[in-house]
Amino acid sequence: MKKRYLNDPNFVRSKKSKKKIIYSVIYYLTGTALSLLFILPLLYMLAASTKSEAAVATSNGTFLMFIPDFTNLSVFFDNYAVVFGERYHIWTYAINSLIYCLVVIVLNTLVNGLAGYVLAKFHFPAKGFFSFIIIFLMVVPVETSIIPLLSIVQDLLHLNKGFFSIIAIVIPSIISVFNIFLYTQFFSSIPKEYEEAMHIDGAGRVRMFFNLILPLSKPIVATTAVFTFIGVWNDYVWPSLVVDNRGTSGWPLYPIQYAVNIITSSDGITTGQIMAALVITTLPIFILYVAAQKYIVKGFGTAGLKM
Amino acid sequence: MALIALYVFAAFIVIFLAVFIKDFIKNRKSHYKYHKGEVIMAFVLLAPSVVLAFFLVLLPIITSLGFSFTNYTLGDPNNISLAGGDGFGNFRDLISEFQIKGDFYHAIKNTAIFVVFVVPIQIGLALGLALFVNNKRRGTTIFKVCFFAPVAVSLSVTAFFWREVLANRPDGIMNSILANFGIPNQDFLGTDKILGWMIAISAWQGCGYQMLIFLSALGNIRKDLYEAARVDGANSFQRFKTVTIPGLRPTMLFILITVFIGACRVLIQPMLLDQGVYPGSVTLSLYMYNQGQKYGNVGLSCAVALLMTIVIGSITFLQRQLLKEKKK
Repeated sequence: MKKRYLNDPNFVRSKKSKKKIIYSVIYYLTGTALSLLFILPLLYMLAASTKSEAAVATSNGTFLMFIPDFTNLSVFFDNYAVVFGERYHIWTYAINSLIYCLVVIVLNTLVNGLAGYVLAKFHFPAKGFFSFIIIFLMVVPVETSIIPLLSIVQDLLHLNKGFFSIIAIVIPSIISVFNIFLYTQFFSSIPKEYEEAMHIDGAGRVRMFFNLILPLSKPIVATTAVFTFIGVWNDYVWPSLVVDNRGTSGWPLYPIQYAVNIITSSDGITTGQIMAALVITTLPIFILYVAAQKYIVKGFGTAGLKM
Repeated sequence: MALIALYVFAAFIVIFLAVFIKDFIKNRKSHYKYHKGEVIMAFVLLAPSVVLAFFLVLLPIITSLGFSFTNYTLGDPNNISLAGGDGFGNFRDLISEFQIKGDFYHAIKNTAIFVVFVVPIQIGLALGLALFVNNKRRGTTIFKVCFFAPVAVSLSVTAFFWREVLANRPDGIMNSILANFGIPNQDFLGTDKILGWMIAISAWQGCGYQMLIFLSALGNIRKDLYEAARVDGANSFQRFKTVTIPGLRPTMLFILITVFIGACRVLIQPMLLDQGVYPGSVTLSLYMYNQGQKYGNVGLSCAVALLMTIVIGSITFLQRQLLKEKKK
């Protein structure tokens, strides 16, 4: 017979096994219940988006309402077809939002990155003044100034003129004082020797920024880009204030979040179609969360810096 | 408007030049001299961000402060004067509206109720979930993903979804579910219930985010502290009290302040969930937004913003001091 020692894990387990199994069962049951609490509304959204109006009505109240209707695959994507179709053409708004996001990400990285680069690496008078302003603007709450911001943007770019309305949507997201702060912190940690080496090779400061600083700072640039994308895609209030369709020929300028409000409250839309529109709006962010997990977790680390 | 911008810009330039000249004079004695090319390059590269930050961040904050003492109306920049003669007209209006229990009274009441309930519920839920999944059992990742999933849905999509679910129609989702159990039609988003739903939805949606922050903080607590406590004979509750809670205190402060500020500013849920119960759902942010956007009373809107900033700022400061003191 095999000798059993006190530190043998099997020995300990055999003593406690019954209690442990009960604990485990309780743990997983609680976990499943809690998970369902969080996930069931989203499952309902997904499930209802694949069903006809009648199927939604009959499945409500039964367990089937959380499960997509795989029995009737001929109508599975009908709601999506309607939402993408002629009447609601949600894809135009999705493209709008995508363009806004990309424009903001590029300009945000450029403008704030350059500012961070200057504050981290340049030697010039009044540097302390700019650093102080950045800290000051980070501490003062900005969101309460949305109405004065609106009047400034309205005075600067006379709205209701199509193209200017696009600028009005994206321009406040381009500047981010917090990103300048982050970039300054990160760029400061890049050793000066790299720059000196490039200087000897005859490179200018702008080329150093693009060929040295940005490539070395990929993680921070990616993290801010991901969060900028999420912020712009999910923004509702600001676009709803400034966007105006008058004066544009044909192509509506609404970003997707605002368009979804119009789509979901239009007459004659079915529950399934509403849910399909909501799923389409949410899907890119879900994909981004899965794909850019690494950078998002990093972002949680930097969230503490905000204080 | 343009005049205010000009004044602020002038002040900005004067301060900037003063600092610039001071630095320049100081630098003459230093051995680390400025290079002309570098200085010019620095200002060229800084220019876009400075211009944007000036117009879109600094100017709104300062004009917001200035507007709150005027009767400035949206789209009418030429007709501007001190509110009520002495500049305090907006604040008097707000006080009298509070006294007659108008929209402003409801806004303060609803925001206070929302904050008082949502902050402890959301933080408690987040901490509970974080402790729940913070172990080495199999499958906790699935739980984490489930708890976090609502965070990935935007605030407005969440509001549209729950607006459909809780609609006061026989074919509203919740009502048709209840009808199958023989329960009559309910007005879930009625005046007295909408605030409760707002609290529940906010906590449901937001707590996954705080859970992740708590989780990373829990991971940072040193394991040997738990071992030491175990050796000293502390049971699991005592270990939680003496190791986990002190270890979480800085994170707790951060989360408390961010959730508090977020709750004070709640705007999208009352704006989008409201199905015509306006004074019952109004919050301070929504009141501010409506006054500025719908009625064009930018002056009054900025006065509310100023009050909010002062209240939020001072309570945040107080929370920070209280939690810091406990740390010692």
